[in-house]
Amino acid sequence: MRVTKERVLVAMSGGVDSSVAAAMLVEQGYDVVGATMKLFCHDDDLPDRPCCSLDSVNDARRVCQQLGVPHYVLNLESAFGRDVVEDFVNEYANGRTPIPCVRCNTFTKFRDLLVKADAIDATWIATGHYARTVDGVMYRGVDHSKDQSYFLWGIHRAVLSRMLLPVGSQSKAETRRVAHQLGLEVIAEKVESQDICFVPDGDHTKIIRQRLGADAPSLSPGPFELSDGRVIGAHDGFARFTIGQRRGLPGGFREPMFVVAIRPGDRAVVIGPREELLGRGVVAREINWLVDTPPVGTHVDIQVRHRARPARAEIVRLDGSEIELALDEPVSAITPGQSLVLYDGDRVLGGGFIERAAGQRAPLPVRAA
Amino acid sequence: MPAPSPIYLDHAATTPVRSEVLEAMMPFFGPRFGNPSSMHRWGREARTALDEARERVAHCLGAGVDEICFTSGGTEADNLAVLGAWHARRNAGRNAVVSTPIEHKAVLESVHQVKREGGDERLCKMTRDGVVDVASFAALLGSDTAIASVMWVNNEIGTIQPIADLAQLAHQAGALFHTDAVQAFGKIEIDARKIPFDILTVSGHKIGAPKGIGAVYIRRGAVVEPLFHGGAQDRGRRPGTENVASVIGFARAAELAVAERAEEWSRLERMRNALETAIVARVPDAIIHGRNAPQRAPHIVNVSVPGTDSESMLMALDLRGIGCSAGSACQSGSITPSHVLSAIGVAPDVAGSAIRMSIGCLTTDECIARVADVFPSLVEKARGVASAARAS
Repeated sequence: MRVTKERVLVAMSGGVDSSVAAAMLVEQGYDVVGATMKLFCHDDDLPDRPCCSLDSVNDARRVCQQLGVPHYVLNLESAFGRDVVEDFVNEYANGRTPIPCVRCNTFTKFRDLLVKADAIDATWIATGHYARTVDGVMYRGVDHSKDQSYFLWGIHRAVLSRMLLPVGSQSKAETRRVAHQLGLEVIAEKVESQDICFVPDGDHTKIIRQRLGADAPSLSPGPFELSDGRVIGAHDGFARFTIGQRRGLPGGFREPMFVVAIRPGDRAVVIGPREELLGRGVVAREINWLVDTPPVGTHVDIQVRHRARPARAEIVRLDGSEIELALDEPVSAITPGQSLVLYDGDRVLGGGFIERAAGQRAPLPVRAA
Repeated sequence: MPAPSPIYLDHAATTPVRSEVLEAMMPFFGPRFGNPSSMHRWGREARTALDEARERVAHCLGAGVDEICFTSGGTEADNLAVLGAWHARRNAGRNAVVSTPIEHKAVLESVHQVKREGGDERLCKMTRDGVVDVASFAALLGSDTAIASVMWVNNEIGTIQPIADLAQLAHQAGALFHTDAVQAFGKIEIDARKIPFDILTVSGHKIGAPKGIGAVYIRRGAVVEPLFHGGAQDRGRRPGTENVASVIGFARAAELAVAERAEEWSRLERMRNALETAIVARVPDAIIHGRNAPQRAPHIVNVSVPGTDSESMLMALDLRGIGCSAGSACQSGSITPSHVLSAIGVAPDVAGSAIRMSIGCLTTDECIARVADVFPSLVEKARGVASAARAS
């Protein structure tokens, strides 16, 4: 007779990864409970979003029905609005480029959902992320091209020993294969969502406008400047720009120009050639460790962007929740608001939100008072 | 040890079709399939059955047969009452609709629709006990009021509204009075000859008839504009081929409900009291909403336990085989905070922990004992967690 293992609450988006995660856990004998989080409401203006829409909830429900496990829809709208959406809007207002998936994982999935897991006596919490946790340590997903550990550094370390990430040990192709094997045809070939789930049509200015009004400074006209201070044009809102961006900049330069800094104080978007994007160090805040805090002087691999190649760096300063690293080789487009994640090979050490690049050739962006 | 059989505590949401009802309906899916509007023998047979069913439903409500109109359910009936009456009267200087903030969404959204169409929406105040503040209700009525609509029994907290008094107040202002009696039917005596409501709506699936059938009582002389346009069925008030089988089932269910009403009330009341007593004894800070209302229907217990949340409790109960509900479910199935509890002044965090247990035909004393037994342990779990989360 098959012995049922402990209960696991699986966060299910209705996509292939979390559906297969749930199915694999059922196969492994866990007492699976599926849950889809309702995080925001698009009203009627977005009938077919790939994620978080009514259809996605229905897909997750159908998968659970097929697996013979209960499924619930949990309303985490107000907490998500506070912890994720509000921060997202504020970060843009401060001239930064937020990474809401990190905060959703940190606060919504692996904190708020965990409270629900506790209430139903679930020992484990599972998602369809491509990462691995072994004995309370987090590693990159086996399929490096799909690795999502970049978004998971913020989780409370104690939670790691309760996480199950079944698809993190296989490739996406294998995940789809398993979906077919298990007869989950509903979701097996679903298109992967690339957008931020609560941003309609990939246009993040819409949500800024909704929350801060059409006359928000971040959506109001401001100057394009070169790093020597020369004004060379005007833009229609610095929230439309991110560090390293080329699109939408004035033309007429001999070499390709990029956004190298955003100054919300005077709404300036500073542009410059490729070399002005290079940073030799990075400062991050809200640092969270998934291992014992390593000492200053430790050499680590760092990643400043999803899917970027890791770079070698040395921890040169640790100051409460702030960290500074010196890079062995310069890295391009270190973007305030994005994540800095520290690795030792495949092992995730911790991470933080990028405050600024250090040691850039261009003058540092002046932060708003 | 086999798992104990599941316990259904959501009778206010829906009930199973009674075997007598199903039996009565069966011929109308088979040999007696005719369209009541047809002149041939098949049509005549269906027409006769329909007319007879209408008589029986009318009898259950103290109404005349010409005062009963069948609908697809409570929601359509409520829409027909509120919008139909307002559409019929708005051009005669009666552009306002008076209602309460604790109505079922079927009424509340109809009232909002009146506003969207240019009417005047007025919602009265509620007491903390979940009853209409009569003075505030009276103050909203005037010579411009087309219709006032107040539910008889609230579907979330079970409080009974003083329908006779409110209907009289409405009439004094020359307004029609509608009551959504979906939760009252089969619990409270409904007699159009004794209580002066003008329009009343009931639903089949709350009393052992199938989903998709309801009825609206429209007092002789009260005019409502139809929602749909088509044939002359139901005196033109509800065009469309009649749902004969469901009407037959509804009539049977209504008769049974009325016949068993008094006895079922005492049975439910006894079990409800036992459940509430047990919960409060074992979870002393549990809050039972609407408990202090002068009158309550006997089938609804709405309880908040501070420090827990509705969703966690509902999941935990379901995983133990106990089906309850909370607030109103949105289209995705997730729970939104109860508009009823907030309207009667319940603090958001308390409202956010409310769960509704509604008892009925499937409930036995043994069910109550088991729920009373399991509930405190689930509370402890949900609470232990909540306080741990606060501490961290």
